[in-house]
Order: sequence, then structure tokens, then C-alpha cells
Amino acid sequence: MTATLPNVAYIVASFLFIMSLKGLSQPSSSRRGNLLGAIGMILAIVVTTAKLWAPEAGLTLPSISSVGLLAGSIAVGCVIGAILAARVAMTQMPELVAMLHSFVGLAAVLVGIVSKMHAEATGAHAGVAHELEVVIGVFVGAVTLTGSIVAFLKLRGSIGGRPLLLPGRHMLNLVLFVGCIVLGAIEVQALGSGGHEGLSTGLLCLLGVTVLSSILGVHLVAAIGGGDMPVVVSMLNSYSGWAASAAGFMLSNDLLIITGALVGSSGAILSYIMCVAMNRSIVNVIFGGFGAEVQKPGTAIAAGSGGTAHETNVQDVSQMLTSSKHVVIVPGYGMAVAQAQHAVREISDALAARGVSVRYAIHPVAGRLPGHMNVLLAEAGVSYEIVKEMDEVNDEFPETDVVMVIGANDIVNPAALDDPGSPIYGMPVLQVWKARNVVMLKRSLAAGYAGIDNPLCYRDNTLMLFGDAKQSVMKLLAAVTS
Amino acid sequence: MPATLETKTESVTEPARSPQRLKLGVPKEIHVGERRVAVVPRMAAKLGKLGFDVVVESGAGTEAAFTDQAYVEAGARIAPDAAAVWGEADLVLKVRQPEMNEALGTHEADLLKEGARLISFVWPAQNKELLERLARRKATVLAMDAVPRITRAQKLDALSAMANIVGYRAVIESAAVYGRFLGGQITAAGSIRPATVLVLGAGVAGLAAVGCAKSLGAIVKAFDTREAVREQVESMGGQFLLFEFDEKGEGEGGYAKQMSDAYLAAEQEFIAGHAKDADIVITTALIPGKPAPKLLTSGAVVSMKTGSVVVDLAAEQGGNCALTERDKTVEKYGVTIIGVTDLASKLSRQASELYSANIVNLLEDVMKDGAFALDLKDEVQRGMLVLKDGELMWPPPRSEVRAAAPQPATPVAAAAPFEKPKPSPWPSRIGMVAAAALLVALGMYSPPELVPHLTVFILACVVGWHVVWNVTPALHTPLMSVTNAISGIIVIGGMILTTGGKVGSVLAAVAVLVASINCAGGFLVTARMLKMFRK
Repeated sequence: MTATLPNVAYIVASFLFIMSLKGLSQPSSSRRGNLLGAIGMILAIVVTTAKLWAPEAGLTLPSISSVGLLAGSIAVGCVIGAILAARVAMTQMPELVAMLHSFVGLAAVLVGIVSKMHAEATGAHAGVAHELEVVIGVFVGAVTLTGSIVAFLKLRGSIGGRPLLLPGRHMLNLVLFVGCIVLGAIEVQALGSGGHEGLSTGLLCLLGVTVLSSILGVHLVAAIGGGDMPVVVSMLNSYSGWAASAAGFMLSNDLLIITGALVGSSGAILSYIMCVAMNRSIVNVIFGGFGAEVQKPGTAIAAGSGGTAHETNVQDVSQMLTSSKHVVIVPGYGMAVAQAQHAVREISDALAARGVSVRYAIHPVAGRLPGHMNVLLAEAGVSYEIVKEMDEVNDEFPETDVVMVIGANDIVNPAALDDPGSPIYGMPVLQVWKARNVVMLKRSLAAGYAGIDNPLCYRDNTLMLFGDAKQSVMKLLAAVTS
Repeated sequence: MPATLETKTESVTEPARSPQRLKLGVPKEIHVGERRVAVVPRMAAKLGKLGFDVVVESGAGTEAAFTDQAYVEAGARIAPDAAAVWGEADLVLKVRQPEMNEALGTHEADLLKEGARLISFVWPAQNKELLERLARRKATVLAMDAVPRITRAQKLDALSAMANIVGYRAVIESAAVYGRFLGGQITAAGSIRPATVLVLGAGVAGLAAVGCAKSLGAIVKAFDTREAVREQVESMGGQFLLFEFDEKGEGEGGYAKQMSDAYLAAEQEFIAGHAKDADIVITTALIPGKPAPKLLTSGAVVSMKTGSVVVDLAAEQGGNCALTERDKTVEKYGVTIIGVTDLASKLSRQASELYSANIVNLLEDVMKDGAFALDLKDEVQRGMLVLKDGELMWPPPRSEVRAAAPQPATPVAAAAPFEKPKPSPWPSRIGMVAAAALLVALGMYSPPELVPHLTVFILACVVGWHVVWNVTPALHTPLMSVTNAISGIIVIGGMILTTGGKVGSVLAAVAVLVASINCAGGFLVTARMLKMFRK
């Protein structure tokens, strides 16, 4: 085998990855896209293995133990991955995605450190540029690693969703960042000093960078409120791509560079889309703590709580739904928490059987992951053709008889449009109040994740159906089908 | 929606009485055949919260099925007779314009307290004498018939609310007279052909009639000179009859305007052609301030099938049908022609509910801190204002705002009152300068092998950007999990490094392990998710 052949194979793999992402942009081609990605991955791994076995490539023949280690690691990793993929509930997708991000971060850190050790052991001089690449790779990797772990814990509810707002947090970020730069600079400098001692200083500095950037990762994500998780998760997705790309620079591996860049820009686009959907500046998201101004409970609660909420019961809602022509269902995170998506689908099927036109309206940031609601509805077997996006459905609300809001709050808050004092002012929302009637399934009149009171609850055409989302939906299903 | 819900869910809190509260009077309507009432009990409760003491004449709601008891429960006071209500009210709410009260021997306008306010239908163009009477009382008068036809004012557009009722009732009236089903059926005794309903004029009443007739199963055709309403007719399930003639029919304020004689003749012929095949014709065409256009000629009626029905909703303005007799149902050439003018009163309960909701919406805008504060700069309030402290304010100065076409109970979404501040150009300029500086530094100091890698990197970023940009939101999660799997490509980084020293190869193996979890887990979970997406 020549040294060129693996590189050609890498071109094929890169191409497959690009086609994979392209396939994922439309439902019809998405499955093929996923398959192409998997083929690309297998190809890359096989070719890399072959390359390790090829003496022409300038590497020594690997020992049996290292081959075993390699094969074992891959096998074990695949089995764990397969089990995770098979077991995870669709409502836990956000946690899984966050956890997987942390793995990429960990791998990037390890690759950086090992590559440094490798250089040290062989005494190879790769130059300033290479050392810089190592530092950057480790930095991005560590931020991704710890940031994803914090995001994972937040999503699981192991730690609270409230943003951690340390005094002088921007200063802290700055100090950590500057610390990384200083250590990185020392590391790069140490290269020039030569000799055994200098190299180990370099390694120490690299470990220092790892620690500092790990703290930075924790702090960045801890400062972001739980309601803004869709942005955070897609940011981390982007970071994991950049980490892989940095590893590619370190190892002079174009496949890694290309693939990392693809993932990085894809994550960046998703973050941007999420930011637009929440009317947030992306800079604030990156530097964290952008939920800060939101958390003024005094003004926020006082803003909308003047009024009477109109309570209703299951029978009335059922009658209202069955006598309607057009019904729109707005699911939110509450539906995911209550695992009510199957019962909701049965209600919409029952209504459709009676000739009611039922559609679902999805806000871009509903749930804790971009597209989270779509996945849950797909799991429940809702045809994606009746699942509409915000822009498609907002014009249709005036012709809608009933909007049923299940476990959503901030994404249907009219204050976002008409109350300049509201912390979410300017965020595009589903304008459900334009429908003739709105039914909100809600546990209580408590504020949503952003801690803002919702004036929608007090509108004259809004009826409140209090109770646990799952139970309310089950009762409603019984009433609609009877 | 079910009206039962509304009453159940409304909670009434008794407001604290204070001497400054405005007295609001609701007299019984005295016009012959008028069954509506300006304020229903549910709205009386709301008005109480707005800061009024509501006084209702005994029996005012009886014809609309609202008892005195219901008003008392809503916090209103019952006055024994008309004189008492008119005499003490600071603000009188009525449906019909004031007229001669034969029982008392006085005109209602003269009963109004000096300097008091009146809100009702007024029709100022037709009632000059009434305006003079009210001016003598130094009255402030708002006309519910003069609501500007703009989006914002739809919540108080009583004419549209009434027209909606009238359109519905017109179909019901015609169905009651028509000797057959409206909908088609296939029965053991043979199949029944659905009736054809022709609606002339697709304003609010016309559209309501289209919707109602359609829901009863009829084949519905609608005609209007304004082609702009075609979409609205079709949205209600009707077939729009396109009449082509070189003259546009849309006049000021979204109403139809009068056309030339040649046009009218061609139009009459066109309509006659369609009326011949229709079982029911409902005419709703009105031109503001003019007699109704004669769309349905006697010849057209003669050509219609025996047993057909014509409901002429323009009877009050002379009728769209040449043979219509006002307030009468007549049979001519075998066709029943209904010329009733009080259809809204036949649904007195519904009409009263909607009308009083319109009034409350108006008062919510007008009342500021418990005081009656008209805003003359407000286009809606200015448009409705006929008299201010006895001074004639009507007609209002012409506004440049182009009126929206009338819409049936479907308020147009107002544009969000939100504008993004223009971003400062500086960050992007600084960014460009920084990028240029970085590139120069790169060119001067970077090792040669870095450049090809950077080229690949930047091109890959651009490719990623373009490939991902058009992803449908429904696939955000699968996209994320697949990119996650792909970023597991870092596995090959670990693999390349397993050939290092002892510690190094173990660490590299750990990297390979976690990255493989990513690859396998990511692709498999994506596959699982995508399997669920179905049409």
C-alpha cells in the first residue's frame, strides 16, 4: 500500500460526511444521509487501521498488544454506544447528546496530551505552529468536556437549572482565559529551550491549560439558565467540532480537519438559529450569564399578574375540541416531562377521525434541544406533515378555533410582543392568543422557565386546565373518545 | 365557541362603590320589533369593574332572554322606568338611535341629562333632526355605525358583528321557507340533489351567509364586484362568480362603489343567468349613502324556478331585488321574496351579546382611571365622534389611511410593534481589520505546511455552512446527533497515537474508546429517531 491510498480514502470519507449532512436537511433523504455518514466513519477507521499496518507509511509495525488495545477499545466503545442508543428514551435525547459531546471533548484533550507526550518521547520538533495547535486543541477540548458535563447534569436535573451568577463572573472568565494564554505561551517557549527539562515543563503547562480551561467550561455553562439549553447544547456541538478540527491540525490529518470544521459550522448555524428564535445575541451566549437580566423577579412578576384566570374542566374542553373545525396543539417541555406525547397523539387522531383539522405548532426553542418536540411527536407517530413551524402557523391562528397549549409557557407569552419591559421582549413567539380560544394545560399559574409571568393566562379567550399534563391529557382523551 | 363556557368561567367581583363613579344607563329599546339590548349581564359586570354604576331599565333585557335578576346578580341596579334611567345616567348605552317615546310623549333625546354622553347606532347622515335635538342637550355622542374600518377597530365594529348575524339568519329564514333540504342526501327513497344558494355581495353578511349555507350542505356561489373578496369567498367554501367588465368595483373604505349604467345592465344579465339555476338567492349589496343597487330584476325573478326563495337583506335601502317589499314576505311568480329588516333582532340574545362586547371594548379604550376621556387624536374614537358637548364633529376630517377590506370576524394580525435596532457597523469593521492582520501575520510567520491545512479547514467551514443552512427545523435533533457521531472521527486521532509509549497508548486507547461510543451511539440513535419520522 502506498501512502497516497489512505489519503484518497480520506477524501471519499470526507465526501460521504458532507453528503450525510446534506441528506439530513430533508426528511426524505435523512435516513440515507445517516447511512452515508456511518459508511464514511467505517471507511475512515478501516483505512486508518490499514495505515497503521503499512510500514511504507513510515511507521513501525504495531505490536500485538497495541493492536489488541485498539481493537478492544473500539469494540467496547461500539457496544457501549449501541446500548446507549437502544436504551435512551426520546425524552432523554438532550442528556444523551450532551454526554456524547463531552466524549468528543475528552478525546480531544487526550489526543492533545498524548501527542505532546509522543513528541517528547521521540524528541521530535514539530515547531511553534504545532505546539500552538496542541494548546488550542486541548483548550477547546477541555471546555467542551466540562461544559458538556455541566449541561448534562443540568438537563438531567442533577443540578438546578438556575444560572450560577458569581460576582465578577466576566472577570473570572477573563482571568481563566488569560491564564490559559500565559501557560500556552510558556509551553510554546519551553520548546525552544530544548533538553529533557524543557519538554516536561511544556507538558506541565499543557496540563495547567487543561485544568484552567476545564474550570472555564464549567463556569461558562453554569452561568446559563436551564431555559436556554437549546442554545447551549448546539454551542457545545459546535465546540466539539472545533476540538476535532484542532486535533486534525495537531496530527496533520485533513480528514479530521474537514470533519471537525463541518461539525463546527453546523453547530454554529444551529446556535445562530436558536439565538434568533430567542432574540438573544450569540456573543452573550458564548460568554455566558446572559440570563442575568432576566432574573429580576420583582419587576417580572408584577408585570402581568393583574387579572383573573378562567378555569375550565375536561368536559368543556372536550366539547370545545370536538365541535371545532381547526385545532392547533402547541407542545412544550412540560409535555416531554410528563411523557404525554402518545396520549396527545391519540387525542389528535380521535379529533381527526371526527373531521377536525388538527395541526401541531412547534416553536424553534420548545424543549431543551433544537427540534426536541419534533422528535417526541415523531416517536408518538404524528405525521410530520401536520407538524408546522412557527412562521407557517402564526398566520393561521386567527382562523383557528382552539389552540391547546400543553406544558409550554414562555414560547406563547404575548409580553414578548407588547411589553417592552418584559425580559423576553422581542423574542418571536407563537401568537396563540389570536385564535378564538386558547386552552392552557398547566400545573399552576406559576411562571415559566424564564421566571416570567405569562399574561396569556389572564386573557379573556384563554381557559386554564390545571393539573399534571399527563393526567389532564389522559382524562381529555377519555372524554374525547367517549 | 360554546357560549356555556363563557358564563361559567367568568368571575364577578363586587367593586367598591364611590360617589365619583359614572352612572351608566341602559334603557329598554322602544323601536317597534327591536328585541336587542345594549348591555348584557355578563358585560354589565365588566362595566362595573371598569368603574361604572350600571343602571338598567326594568325589562330592558327581557326580549333577549336576560332577566332583571341576572342584571342584579351582575352588580347592576334596576330602575323602574325609562325616565329614571335617562334622567340620572351620565352615559347612555343604546342599540337604536333615540326616537319618539310614544308612551311618555317625549323624544328620547330630550330625556338625556344635559351634557351627558350617548353611545348607540346614530346614522348621522340620515338623522339631521336627531343631531339637532342632541346638540341642544349639549350631548357627546359616539356612533357605533361610524367605526372606521381598520384592523385595530375590529373589536368594536358593531356593524360587522350584526352583519355576521344577519347573514346567518338570512340562510335560516330562507331554509325555513324553501320546501326542500339544503344538503344533498342519498336515501332509500332516492337521492336528493343539494340546493344551490346564490349570494350577491360578499361583505360580512354575504360571507356569513356563504359559510352558513355551506355548512347546511348547499352548493354556494357568491358574486361581488370586488375581485379582492374572491379569496374570502373561497375560504368560506363558496364558489366565486367572476364577472368580467372593464371597471373596478372597490370604493373607499373597502365598500363597493356605484357603477355605470352599462356596467349595471351587464351585471344584471350575468346575475339573472345564475339566478335561474339557484334555489335560494340572498342579496346583501349595499353602497354607503345610496339606494341599494337593483341586482335582481323582475325578469330574473320570473325566470327563477317555482318554489325558489329570495332573501333581500338590502330591503331597508330599497332592496337589491326589484320586487322586494320592505318588512314583508311576498310571493311573486312562484318565488318567495323575503324583505325583512330586523333579522339581527331575531337573534336578539346573540346580537345583544356581540353588541355589548363591542361597546365594552370601546369603553375600555375610552376610560382612563375611571374617567371618560376621549382621545381626539385616536383615529377610531375621532371617527365615531358625532357630537362633542353639543358641537357637531361629524363627518371627521378625511384620513389618508387606506381602509382594509371588511373581514368577517377574522382580525388581521397586527404587525409586531417591535423593531430591531440597527447593528453598529463597527464590530464587523474591527473584525475585518483583525482578520486581515491575522492573515498577514500568518503569511509572514507560519510554517509552510500549515497553509494547506488552513485552506482545507476554511473550505470545509464554508461547505459545512452551505450544506447545513437549509435544514428543516424538524430535523435539528437528528442533525445534531449525526454531527455528534461524525465528530467521533477524532477516533482516528487516538488510533494514530496508540503506537506511542506505554502511558501514551493507554490514554490514546481511552480516547479511542470514548470516541467509538460517540460514533456507534450517534449513528444508531439517529437511525432510531429517523425511523420514527413518517409521513
